[in-house]
Amino acid sequence: MAAPLELSCWGGGWGLPSVHSESLVVMAYAKFSGAPLKVNVIDKTWRGSRGDVPILTTEDNIVSQPAKILNFLRKQKYNADYELSAKQGADTLAYIALIEEKLLPAVLHTFWVESDNYFSVTKPWFASRIPFPLSLILPGRISKGALNRILLTRGEPPLYHLREVEAQIYRDAKECLNLLSNRLGTSQFFFGDTPSTLDAYVFGFLAPLYKVRFPKVQLQEHLKQLSNLCRFCDDILNSYFRLSLGVDHFLLKVNHRYLLSPC
Amino acid sequence: MQLLLLCRQGKKEKMERKAFLQMCNLPIKVVCRANAEYMSPSGKVPFIHVGNQVVSELGPIVQFVKAKGHSLSDGLDEVQKAEMKAYMELVNNMLLTAELYLQWCDEATVGEITHARYGSPYPWPLNHILAYQKQWEVKRKMKAIGWGNKTLDQVLEDVDQCCQALSQRLGTQPYFFNKQPTELDALVFGHLYTILTTQLTNDELSEKVKNYSNLLAFCRRIEQHYFEDRGKGSSSIKSS
Repeated sequence: MAAPLELSCWGGGWGLPSVHSESLVVMAYAKFSGAPLKVNVIDKTWRGSRGDVPILTTEDNIVSQPAKILNFLRKQKYNADYELSAKQGADTLAYIALIEEKLLPAVLHTFWVESDNYFSVTKPWFASRIPFPLSLILPGRISKGALNRILLTRGEPPLYHLREVEAQIYRDAKECLNLLSNRLGTSQFFFGDTPSTLDAYVFGFLAPLYKVRFPKVQLQEHLKQLSNLCRFCDDILNSYFRLSLGVDHFLLKVNHRYLLSPC
Repeated sequence: MQLLLLCRQGKKEKMERKAFLQMCNLPIKVVCRANAEYMSPSGKVPFIHVGNQVVSELGPIVQFVKAKGHSLSDGLDEVQKAEMKAYMELVNNMLLTAELYLQWCDEATVGEITHARYGSPYPWPLNHILAYQKQWEVKRKMKAIGWGNKTLDQVLEDVDQCCQALSQRLGTQPYFFNKQPTELDALVFGHLYTILTTQLTNDELSEKVKNYSNLLAFCRRIEQHYFEDRGKGSSSIKSS
């Protein structure tokens, strides 16, 4: 009998089981591989380190970071890539690298750096799930970390001004979305008829971008034009997360109340 | 079109740019300058100087050469182009970062080789100051992307995973997209050649690559076809 697997992760909203990409990647993989995961959504009472989330806890192990968690699940025989060929496995690694290099900076920027989005949506949402006084500090720290990461990895000369870096990362992200759309084509999943690790990663990064309501939406608008990627996200939500959508509808109403109240 | 490839004295060449230009059949002349880093528009070497234009980094070089009518990836369809770009990011993500890690974050290598090599064109104390500054910059970047806490073993494992993926993608084909080389071949060759021929304090990195015989054969084939056949360069170790 396998030890119970508990996943601590950020919660959902806007029709998603989680608004946090890395948490969503793990949740999607667990559904695809049939891993029986008990999901603990972080709220104000949670005492762990929020910087490491998502965190998988079993009787003897604590694992953080999506890649490590997925590896752990595979070792426990929950393997969504069982049917993939060696080349498809290699392609998975390559496309994940593409997402992390080309898409992630713009996603980080949309959520954590773009001030309209950060102050009206991201910060209130996360702050409401962090106990005081950490709620005053942690979102700012995450935001600075995101900006730091963007500048250190993409802000090298000749791009000296933040605005030029921003323009470049959004160009790269749009190109990445186009490439993913081309690769997916009319298939249901990236490799055949069953979802695998790559589908989990693409879903994890795309779904929040697709669903969360932001004031500044340039990347979102681009994504909405790629109908096969939107269909991909909606299919996974409907097939694998339908039961939790009812709960999220309730959470959405709660979120609205938080957003409208002064904070 | 006379292409000048400028590189820095005392620094090992970035073979992928040279390889790409050779593959396009473009005549290049290699010139070494101590201040090449400062001449480059992005601070990165090597870069190319053509007429009155200066272009650095493999991506822009590829675009520039394409605009002049030379391209290696025109024959690929959209899905293949997506794959090629994805694999190029994999190489940048894993191999390039691992090389940087080994050069600047592994204390043994830093102390014995990197500091001396990086600072060699400059007089004391500038050689030490610049080397420490570069090390600090690299460590900051590693921390930002989550490699700050990785051990050498974990980095080597990542390199192995990357080589395995490349080996599986290459299979028994001569190049990654069968008969003709593309930017991806140039990039992979550049990195693997550097790993195989640069002397470091330990050989673990090159041993990882040597485990994959088709990758070794791939490197040898490109070296023979594009470099030795033209009477340029040799496969001997070039360091400092």
